[in-house]
This record gives sequence, structure tokens and C-alpha cells, in this order.
Amino acid sequence: MNTVQVVLSGAMLGGLYALMAAGVSVTWGVLRVINLAHFGLILLGAYLTYQLVTIWRVNPLVTLVVTVPALFVLGALLQWAYDRLNIVEFNSLLVSFGLLIVMIQVAQNIWTADHRELPRDINPFDTGSLSLGPIVLPYDRLVCLGLAVLLLGGGHLALQRTFVGRGMRAFAEDRTVAASFGIDHRRLSVLLGGAAGASAGIAGMAFMLGNLIQPSHAYEWFGIVFAVVILGGLGNLLGTLFAGISVGALSGLVGVLWSHAYVPIAVFAAIIVALVLRPQGVFVRRRAV
Amino acid sequence: MLEVRGVQARYGDAQALWGVDLDVAAGEMVCIVGPNGAGKTTLVKTIAGLHAAAAGSVRMDGVELTAVPGHKVCDYGVATVPEGRRVFGHMTVRDNLLLGAYRRAARRVYRETEEEVYRLFPRLRERQGQLAGSLSGGEQQMLAIGRALMARPRLLLLDEPSLGLAPVIVDEVFDALAAVTRTGMGVLVVEQDVQRALEACGRGYLLIEGRIVTAGTTEALRSTDEVRQRVLGM
Repeated sequence: MNTVQVVLSGAMLGGLYALMAAGVSVTWGVLRVINLAHFGLILLGAYLTYQLVTIWRVNPLVTLVVTVPALFVLGALLQWAYDRLNIVEFNSLLVSFGLLIVMIQVAQNIWTADHRELPRDINPFDTGSLSLGPIVLPYDRLVCLGLAVLLLGGGHLALQRTFVGRGMRAFAEDRTVAASFGIDHRRLSVLLGGAAGASAGIAGMAFMLGNLIQPSHAYEWFGIVFAVVILGGLGNLLGTLFAGISVGALSGLVGVLWSHAYVPIAVFAAIIVALVLRPQGVFVRRRAV
Repeated sequence: MLEVRGVQARYGDAQALWGVDLDVAAGEMVCIVGPNGAGKTTLVKTIAGLHAAAAGSVRMDGVELTAVPGHKVCDYGVATVPEGRRVFGHMTVRDNLLLGAYRRAARRVYRETEEEVYRLFPRLRERQGQLAGSLSGGEQQMLAIGRALMARPRLLLLDEPSLGLAPVIVDEVFDALAAVTRTGMGVLVVEQDVQRALEACGRGYLLIEGRIVTAGTTEALRSTDEVRQRVLGM
């Protein structure tokens, strides 16, 4: 039963990874920008959540009303700047890494390098859990998984079923032809950058529900989030959701069967195996030849 | 409808077009023939707004297109079937078609247009849910044409539609083009298969080294020395 428990807990935590990975995946897959500053936006989302909850003393979910629009604007501005400066796939790594360092420093200046956490008396998800027989599902992780399913599932539908979403996918494949059908890459980049920013706001809030935050956390997210992005397939949100859940479940399993120290090794070994077997991404629909 | 006057185009220092004049009226199918490297593709791209003209004017029903950004040209009724088809291989056939109807005016009537495209190319209806990358070359060409038609253009530009296709399929493609021409659309086709182009079109232009050398009805073109020597090889 313990095994089932850790797999489930891990899978729910995987929802958080998926939330963090969503923005990275779409900007990389569609706009060809590897935006490391996205981790800075998540960090900012987390601190803003902390700040607003502390001041207003409200349910953390309520703070999304402010953080989501704020980070949408930031994400859109960032993408607009990348576009203006003609940042492409490779130099985006360097530029956005620089930006991330600045963002982390700013966070450190404002909120110090000490741990911060949501006041326990206000955070309704902190200690409670849902019990299903012997299985315990902590509320904070349930919320992470729920938000991930809503956000990535919704994003996937938007990309698949709407004219704008189709435009984004077409743009990812062939910019010139897409432009000849009326797809304005400036507008689309800003819109997508904004959406990625908004998702960072949600991810930051989700992170705060069950974790302490400190500025250097942004670096710690790299490994697992990139693993999820690659496994899911660039720009594939449904794949990212499944990848997040799988990585989370695998981490939980390895943690209890062996040791938490082996989790990174197991996750990255799994990624290497997965990419050898399915180089196009594990959850990508195979392109028939 | 389409008036091209004195259009020049360059790639860096290399000049590809040296003052091209050309017209296409509604309901006519016109071809541009010429040897490789004559500037045919550049001409199509310049009209479509995908390559900036260095000089001259491209007008669509009197509107100057050279001043319009590339992604807005489709709003003036121009749709392109690019060389090599360039369908979106990772998207389904239907998504490719709907993408064609991206511009607002086309979006409003996409269901009707989609039906028309399926009537023109019944095979696309059968393949709706397949990824475009899995289609045969001929089907991809039909899809590229269907996608362009989804934009509800008044002028359809095609760059080498017969390239790499079996003759039976080429027949099918040209029959479809004749059908859309009858609906009043203007069609401008760049074609390597000169015989085919001259048979299918009413008028034609011979483009050599970036200049229009001869123009006229296709019967007249067929008998001129330049066409016989330079492109028909007779």
C-alpha cells in the first residue's frame, strides 16, 4: 500500500512539474525561444502569492486574480523584447539565463535569501488531506494536479481546436507559409508569451501551497522541468501533462524503493531510454511516413 | 484585377527581376514559363508579399500591395500554393484546410468553403483526420491548393504545381484549377511543364533572366521562336 501511496503522491506532485513546464514547452516549441527567464517568472509568481496572501490574508487561489494578469503582461513584454532583439533559439539560452540571474537577484533584494512560506493559519491546503481508505491525498498536491489538468488540458484544446491555436501550430512548422495565410508573428508571439507568463503565475502559486520558497529555487527547477518538457514533446501540452505525472510518479517510486538520492539518476536515465526509443518525444503522436 | 508594373527584385547584390509587367484578370488562367533561374519563383513571392520588391508596383484591384506587410496580403484576395507544396506535415488534413481560412473574412464562411474544397478534391474528405505529412505527393498538392482556396482568394498563385507528380494526378490538379477559374477566380501559375501549362492556360508570359521576353495567347506563344527554342527545346 505504501508503494501505491508514493506513486500517487508523486503523480500529484507531477502536476506541479507539468504546470512549470507548460510555458517552457510552448515558447520553445512554437516560438523557438528557450526561455530560462520563465523560471524567474515562476519565482516571481510564488513570491507575489506569498506577499498578497500575507497582506490580504486570503485563500491563495484568490491571489491568482492579480498574479495571472500581472505575469501575463510580464511574459508578453519579455516575448516582445525577444522578438524585437531578434533573439533566436540558441542565443535565447544565453540572454534568458542572464535575465534569470537578474530576476533571482531582484527577488533576493526584496524578499531576502531566507525561506518564506504561506502563513499556515491562512493556507487551507497546508495540512489537510483527502482519505480514500488507506490512501491519503494531500490537498496541496490535489490542487496542483487539478490545476495542471485544467490548464494543460485547456491549453491543449485551445491549440487543437481554435483558429488562433492552429495558427500557432502552423507558425511553429513553417513561418513563411503561415504568414501568407495572415498569421502575424508579432501579435502571436506576444499573445503566446503572455499565456506562458500567466501559466508561470499559476505554477508559482501552486508551488507555494506545499513548499517553502527561496530565490535559488529557480535553479533547482531546471533539471526536472526540462526533463518533463523534453519527454512531453516540444509544444505538446497534453504530452507535457502526462510527462509531468509520469516523472512525479517515478520519483516517488524510486524515493521509497531505493533512496531520494537516486531520484535524479532514475529520472534522467528514464529520459535517455525514452529518447532512444522515441526520439520525437514519448507522448508525441507518431508522424506516419 | 492583378496589375504588376515594372517590378524589380534583388537578393543582396544579385538582381532577379528587371522590371516585370504582368496582368491577370478575374476568371482567367495565366501561366509564366521560362527556364530554370529565370526568376519565376521570385516573381510569385514578390506578388504574394513574401519577398520585398526593390522597385515597381503590384496592384490588386487598384490597391498597392508592395506597401502591405506580408501577412496582410491575403486580406486583399491573394493566396499562394508554394513551390514544394509546404503543407503543415504535423497537422491533420482538416487542420491544414482550416488554417487556410485563418483570415477573418474567410473564417466566417469556412464551413461552406470546406465543402467546396471537398467537392473539388473528394480525396481530401476521406483523409481529413490524417496527418498531412502522411499523404502522397499528389494528395499534398491537392491539400496545398485546398488550403489556399480556404482563404477565399480572388487570385490564386501557384508555383510549380506539377513538380514530382504522376501525369494522372497532374491532370486532376489542372482540371481542378480550370474549375476554380470558371467560378471567376484569377489563376496565375508558374509551370515547368510548359506543354501542360500552354494547354491549360489562355495566356502566358515567357520569363527569361528576370525579364518578360514574350507575352500573349498560348497559341501564339507556342509558335514563337523563343518559346520553341528556350523552353520547349524544339
